Amino acid sequence: MTAPVLQVKDLKTQFFTDDGVVKAVDGVSFDLHPGETLGIVGESGCGKSVTALSILRLVQEPGRITNGQILFKGTDIVTMPDDDVRDIRGKDIAMIFQDPLSSLNPVLKVGYQIEEAMEAHTRISGKVALSRAIQLLKQVRIPAAESRVEDYPHQFSGGMRQRAMIAMGLANKPSILIADEPTTALDVTVQAQILELLRDLNQETKTAIILITHNMGVVAGLCKRVLVMYAGRIVEQGPVEQIFHDPQHPYTWSLLQSIPRLDADRKDRLLSIEGLPPDLIKPPSGCRFHPRCRFRIERCFHDDPSLMDVGPDQAAACWVTMRRALAQDGQARA
Amino acid sequence: MATAPGVATPEEYVGDTLAREQTSLWADAWRRLRRNRLALVSTFILLLLVVVAIVSAFWTPFPIWRQSVGPTYDPPSLHHLLGTDQRGRDIFSRLMVGAQVSLQVGVGTQIIVAALGITVGLLAGYFRGWLDGIISTIINIFYGIPDLLVALILVLLLGRGLDKIIFAIAVTRWMDMARLVRGQTFALREREFVEAARASGTRPNKILSRHILPNALGPIIVQATFGVPQAILFEAFLSFLGLGVQPPTPSWGAMAADGFHALRIAPHIVLVPAIALSLTLMAFNFLGDGLRDALDPRQKR
Repeated sequence: MTAPVLQVKDLKTQFFTDDGVVKAVDGVSFDLHPGETLGIVGESGCGKSVTALSILRLVQEPGRITNGQILFKGTDIVTMPDDDVRDIRGKDIAMIFQDPLSSLNPVLKVGYQIEEAMEAHTRISGKVALSRAIQLLKQVRIPAAESRVEDYPHQFSGGMRQRAMIAMGLANKPSILIADEPTTALDVTVQAQILELLRDLNQETKTAIILITHNMGVVAGLCKRVLVMYAGRIVEQGPVEQIFHDPQHPYTWSLLQSIPRLDADRKDRLLSIEGLPPDLIKPPSGCRFHPRCRFRIERCFHDDPSLMDVGPDQAAACWVTMRRALAQDGQARA
Repeated sequence: MATAPGVATPEEYVGDTLAREQTSLWADAWRRLRRNRLALVSTFILLLLVVVAIVSAFWTPFPIWRQSVGPTYDPPSLHHLLGTDQRGRDIFSRLMVGAQVSLQVGVGTQIIVAALGITVGLLAGYFRGWLDGIISTIINIFYGIPDLLVALILVLLLGRGLDKIIFAIAVTRWMDMARLVRGQTFALREREFVEAARASGTRPNKILSRHILPNALGPIIVQATFGVPQAILFEAFLSFLGLGVQPPTPSWGAMAADGFHALRIAPHIVLVPAIALSLTLMAFNFLGDGLRDALDPRQKR
């Protein structure tokens, strides 16, 4: 296997608020290989967006990266001088955000904003920049790109705006594209188009993609590998098929159970996860998921599990794991 | 593209059927402003004022400095449209040149105010922290000192030239602009497109000039428009006290002061500059109001 393009090692990002220290990301480690598609899933406030922002060192006060390393091609972003991080942003690692309308400057033409993304890192003439902007708009399948570069964001539809954002992201041919909830603000039909576009671009440009979402379905549509986050930690990771077919952490299992399915019996109730995400100023003792876990055992209350291999390439942080839980359930029923 | 012009390709149907009128924000604002009668009349009055000021630089009915071009305290007549003053000078001519002074003071101070206030406000609002602390303290100190006192001291120190008076007024008037821009920047820096610009490696100077400033321009223009009449009034006030522009350059304030002792026998000497001043101030204020409504992005139609 090739060397990872990005290695995150024991990342901790904390927010120093008046109420206490919020441990938004609490010891996250993962590798990203060139051209790979990695999904990070979890509910709101689990730390997935903060992880993404930390990678580009965009976490704002009172937030701070307090521990760990983020190695981009071997150099640590955490300890880099500001100017060097700025060179990486948009050039080597690009990021697109949830709401494409608010991510585009309303008073500047779309074409100009794409050109600006290029000019931040390379000296090019206006003419070259313009033709490259048109080419990028074509690459993200925007029709009549030649005239569309002259439009303002409000003249674009939601899907086109996100396409334009992706074009901006790809402007400098980055090796990593971080997409933070790229489809959440869009219509369902447009969501599918954007996912398809990201998948095609991943094939065409070999850009590695980190997709951040709360939607398991979106992950299934794009990613090869997935990290499931809960309360600032990774609770399960592995290849997408594996995670979908054989989830080992009760949290992952519950997330999957909460997706409505057409092929399920109508009478089956959708499973929701009881309770609220934990307070990250004072996280629960033991396993952080135990207050909401239906399979918890005595050990979960005081002993914090770390990621353990549960299959080929698959790891989960759980004392019980679904395999054993379901087996016991079967025994109980028998 | 291979398809015939005017025929949409199947791709173009996919969710992208927005009307494609080429309307920029400014065209929209101009359209809204035109619907506002008061603002339109005000614009017309101000344009007239500008024309008068320009003409007065080359021609006036009578030379403004020459005394006894007519009898003293003469009421308006065909020969002297707005009468003459206590020294027999033609008031109409002096009023024309006074427009020049007022406009120079009004616009001049706002240029300085804008340059200073925008720079300071952007820096404080964007970088926050200790820089904002220092700047905010300075702003508060300036608010604390009476503006008349500051202006008087500056005029005494620098002298009474028009440029010096413009500078003195600007020094007492920049804080509102700085505060406004600081607040706007505070709000705009949290917007996602600024974060997106940061995420794509854009430098702070470019984020400020290309992303934050253009989005704050509407309120800045409105603030500057309201600032013009304030500055004009302040100059008139200083001139009325005899601390404004050096005589014999006519300022509306000085003209009103000249006629003050003869209010009973020749009220036109006071009334003419006073009315001109009021009309100008009103026009600027109505225009400011109109601009505020026109540049408000929440207002559609």
